Formats: sequence, structure tokens, C-alpha cells
Amino acid sequence: MLFTRDPAGTVSASFESVELGLLRLAASQLIELLLAAETHALGTSADPALRRLLPDAYPDDAEASAEFRRFTSGDLLDGKLANARVLLASLGEEPLDEIADEPSLPFLDDRFEVPPMPIALDDVGVQSWLRTLTDLRLTLAERLQISPDGEQHLDADEAPLLSSIYEWLGMVQESLVYAIDR
Amino acid sequence: MPKTSEKSDLREAVSLDRPWVTIVWDDPVNLMSYVSYVFRSYFGVAPEEAERLMLRVHNSGKAIVSTGNRESMERHVEAMHGFGLWATLSREDS
Repeated sequence: MLFTRDPAGTVSASFESVELGLLRLAASQLIELLLAAETHALGTSADPALRRLLPDAYPDDAEASAEFRRFTSGDLLDGKLANARVLLASLGEEPLDEIADEPSLPFLDDRFEVPPMPIALDDVGVQSWLRTLTDLRLTLAERLQISPDGEQHLDADEAPLLSSIYEWLGMVQESLVYAIDR
Repeated sequence: MPKTSEKSDLREAVSLDRPWVTIVWDDPVNLMSYVSYVFRSYFGVAPEEAERLMLRVHNSGKAIVSTGNRESMERHVEAMHGFGLWATLSREDS
């Protein structure tokens, strides 16, 4: 997985099946979170991940922040949802099809060797990927209880797995930023 | 003492005109390269300026990335939230 941009401007990278499964699962869970958020009053959301995705706009004015959220959260959530769905669609699957599925058990079996799959992104795709990768990392960072100094404080069995997914998503994003930067 | 009173009137007028600012705060998640990219692509600043702003966010914990009227700053803050950056607006410090 390393994004490059060809002379025609197409940005692409090859992903292993297990990586695609991971991205599908992560994006699907983000979509679930965003859909659930649309039905709640966000000012009082108990979910720190949602509070980080839609932070207070006025640091010292709760009333103005609530007002701002009332006018912007719908569009912001819609945008984040659309981005996550663009990312899902670019992976070659219909969105929302496999929310309940675990990623790709057959791919863990050597008999099912699948070659890496090339993913090509247009400008819209690039923007959606950049923003969705950000939202995924912000969400994971809350789960991992990452403090302002960058330390992870989650003490649970899934911490190492979540941590490596978090780091990997960062690599994907870094690679994408550099590819479009050149 | 007319002079003093003029002065305080002036101060009052200046404070009422104090512009609003968009502030981007440092967070442990967003990549430096991405933050720099956002400043460049959204605010249209040169790469060196984007890098300077990003480093100020990173090193000082926050940076003023735009100054203007309240409506414009709200628009910028909403855009930054769309990018996943932690942004707020407030009155510029006097």
C-alpha cells in the first residue's frame, strides 16, 4: 500500500485483501456512528468521539456553541457520511452490505491467495479518503484514550489491534497526502 | 477633561470593532502533513506559509489562521471541522 500519482493525475495504490476488509469494516462502523449521531442532540452527546468530530465552536460560550451546532451539524454529518460512502464504494463493494460481517476469513487461508487490488481515486475520491481517514483516526484515538501528549491509555485486550489499525490508517493517509503534494 | 474622554471613546470604538479570529488547536491525532495540506488547499496560502502555520499549531498549541467578521470565521470553523481539524472562533485579543 503506497499511493502514487501518475503523469495523467490519477492517484492509486494497491491494497491487500485483508487491508481492504479492514477499511470496509472501519468505514462501515464510522457510517453507523454518524447515522446514530444524526438522531441525537449532539450538544449532549456522551460519545467523546462524536464530540471530537463536531467540537464546540465557541470555547467559552456554551450557548453560542449550541447555536453553531444547530446550524452546522446536519451538513457536517452529511458530508462525513458521504465521504465514508465514497471510500467504501471505491473499495469495490456496495456500501452497507457487510456491516455485520467479520473481514474476510478466507483470506487468512493460504489456499485463497488473492493478489493485491489496485484502487484508483479521482479528485472527489482523494478528498473523501483524506477526510474519512481523518475521521476514522479521530474516532479510534478516542477509543484508545489518546491523551494530548499522544500517549495511549486504553487498557484492554483489543488495545494492540486498535493501535496498529490506528497507526496503519495514519500511514495510508500520509502516503496519500504525499502523493497529491508532488 | 475632554482629551481623556475622547481617548476612552476611541478605545471603546476600537473594542467594538475588534475582529473575530479562527483558531486551529493542536491535537495528537492529525498528521502534520495533512494539517499543512488543509491550510494550503482551503485558505489558498503558499506552501511556506501553510508550513509556518502548521508548525505554530504544533509548537504553540494553537494558531490564528484567519481574521475577519464573525460570519466568515464561522464558515471557516465549519470547514475546518469538515476536515477533522479542531477549530474555534473568538474575538481577537485586544
